[in-house]
Amino acid sequence: MNRIKQLSIFVENKTGQITDVTTLLSNNGLSIKSINLVDSSDFGLLRVIVDDEKKAKEILDENGISLKITDVFAVEIDDHVGSFNDVVTTLSTNNINIEYTYTVSNTKNGAFIFKVNPIEFDKVTQILEEKNIKILKGI
Amino acid sequence: MIWNEIESSRREDIEKLQLSRLKDTVDRVYTLTPFYKEKFNTLGLRPEDITTLEDVRKLPFTTKKDLRAHYPFGLFTVPMSEIVRIHSSSGTTGKPTVVGYTKADMDIWDEVMARVYTMAGASSEDIVHNGYGYGLFTGGLGFHNGAEKVGATIIPASGGMTDRQLMLMKDFGATILAATPSFSLHMAEVAKKAGPNYLKDYKLKAGVFGAEPTSKGLKKEVSEAWGIDYHEVYGLSEIIGPGVACSCKESDLLHVFEDHFLFEIIDSKTGEAVPDGKRGELVITSLTKQALPLLRYRTGDITSIIKEPCKCGRTTARMESIVGRADDMLIISGVNVYPSQIEHVIANTEGVTLNYQIIADKKGHLDKLEIHVEVSDEIMSDSLGEMAIIKKTIQSALLNNLYINANVVLVQPRSIARSEGKAVRIVDKRKDNE
Repeated sequence: MNRIKQLSIFVENKTGQITDVTTLLSNNGLSIKSINLVDSSDFGLLRVIVDDEKKAKEILDENGISLKITDVFAVEIDDHVGSFNDVVTTLSTNNINIEYTYTVSNTKNGAFIFKVNPIEFDKVTQILEEKNIKILKGI
Repeated sequence: MIWNEIESSRREDIEKLQLSRLKDTVDRVYTLTPFYKEKFNTLGLRPEDITTLEDVRKLPFTTKKDLRAHYPFGLFTVPMSEIVRIHSSSGTTGKPTVVGYTKADMDIWDEVMARVYTMAGASSEDIVHNGYGYGLFTGGLGFHNGAEKVGATIIPASGGMTDRQLMLMKDFGATILAATPSFSLHMAEVAKKAGPNYLKDYKLKAGVFGAEPTSKGLKKEVSEAWGIDYHEVYGLSEIIGPGVACSCKESDLLHVFEDHFLFEIIDSKTGEAVPDGKRGELVITSLTKQALPLLRYRTGDITSIIKEPCKCGRTTARMESIVGRADDMLIISGVNVYPSQIEHVIANTEGVTLNYQIIADKKGHLDKLEIHVEVSDEIMSDSLGEMAIIKKTIQSALLNNLYINANVVLVQPRSIARSEGKAVRIVDKRKDNE
């Protein structure tokens, strides 16, 4: 399966935390392909996909920023009503639990990012192919 | 008023009594406690070597660790049939410091607390509102018994429920307040909401305050907010509880009840005696305790003593209000906490040693504790929910093991300040604000 490496970066809930991360990435020539922030009252997680996750991890580690690399997959958005629904319905009828999902819009038509249990990846590839839903190699 | 004439006796009489009681105590622990007998033997010391008060310096020290090592009743010198009361402090991983009292010990405790109340001007005419927590903590019952002893009417209100406490104080016409300084001030803040003339509803004239280190500023605030005399009470459960020393109307220094407690001030690093008037670690030897007599107990509290007679007529030695700690113990709302205990709880909860910092501060007049925990690779997760659970788990472990309410804040690795390469474990902002 075409896995995409996503960085989940811990951010404290205070001004300038996101800037600290994005400045480090851009100063080191890393391109941010997608960015998604979830937060609680105390802290947040910044989910980022970059063109070189190993280099990004090195740089963030060096600068004392906590992160975890997580495998996710991306599905091309087919521009018709109900395209997202097609994907999630296929997953749920096959008992695949979606931990979280978000959209990115920098590919031609954009993409849906999904996080599921990695042991389900092969099954996901198979069931989506059966439905002619395209899993992207990268975004 | 002075409760017991010993408080104003000639110094040589007090010291004579101290020496005879010291000898009795030394005989007692040597005969009855294997722990002390062994220590004496190691030092090549015999009870008869103690012939003057200065000889107390030959005796071995006792520490909180010794009490924990003999948990729960290992250092008691009497069978349990003679123990009538147990108190205990909070402890790490469920091993608190346990103390016991015989009937005679309870009488002594009542006696010294009666002296405290008398110093505060209390008599059988008074109504004492006791806002110390009742339970294993010595505060509640310690302040309770002494009030009964002087014949006052005691209102055992215990801690919490501020509005209800204020109602009781008004309706019952309390004249003496017993509570922690921070809670007293908190109650005053709430009482003030009734308007500028709120004091007309209360009959308070004095308060007996203790259990937490208190700045001069806070004492003044409590005293002014309630329009009362402030009497500071010093004590610790290992020695008896509250009632080891108390300040009178004439001075800020605390009169030591020397006929029951022998004070020394030492250099906490070398163990050497420090002259009168100079600060050092307070070391106390029980002179009359039956169930749990301790020799040279290291309190960890930094203070000084002087022996000049006081204007109030008392001749007993007086100690300065505690100015600090020889170790890194923190007192949070009356509960003693060591950073190592917090570290222990975090390590046990998460299975890894996490870098942390303790930040003590005030919210209004109440203590507030924040614990910053650095997010390491081991606890980093892609799930917000899992990270929130880590925070909650540490919080409830701290509450269950150490009885402290702390807000755990997850922070970036290496964000905790370092000093010479070592993480700064404690930031006590309460001190900065004084």
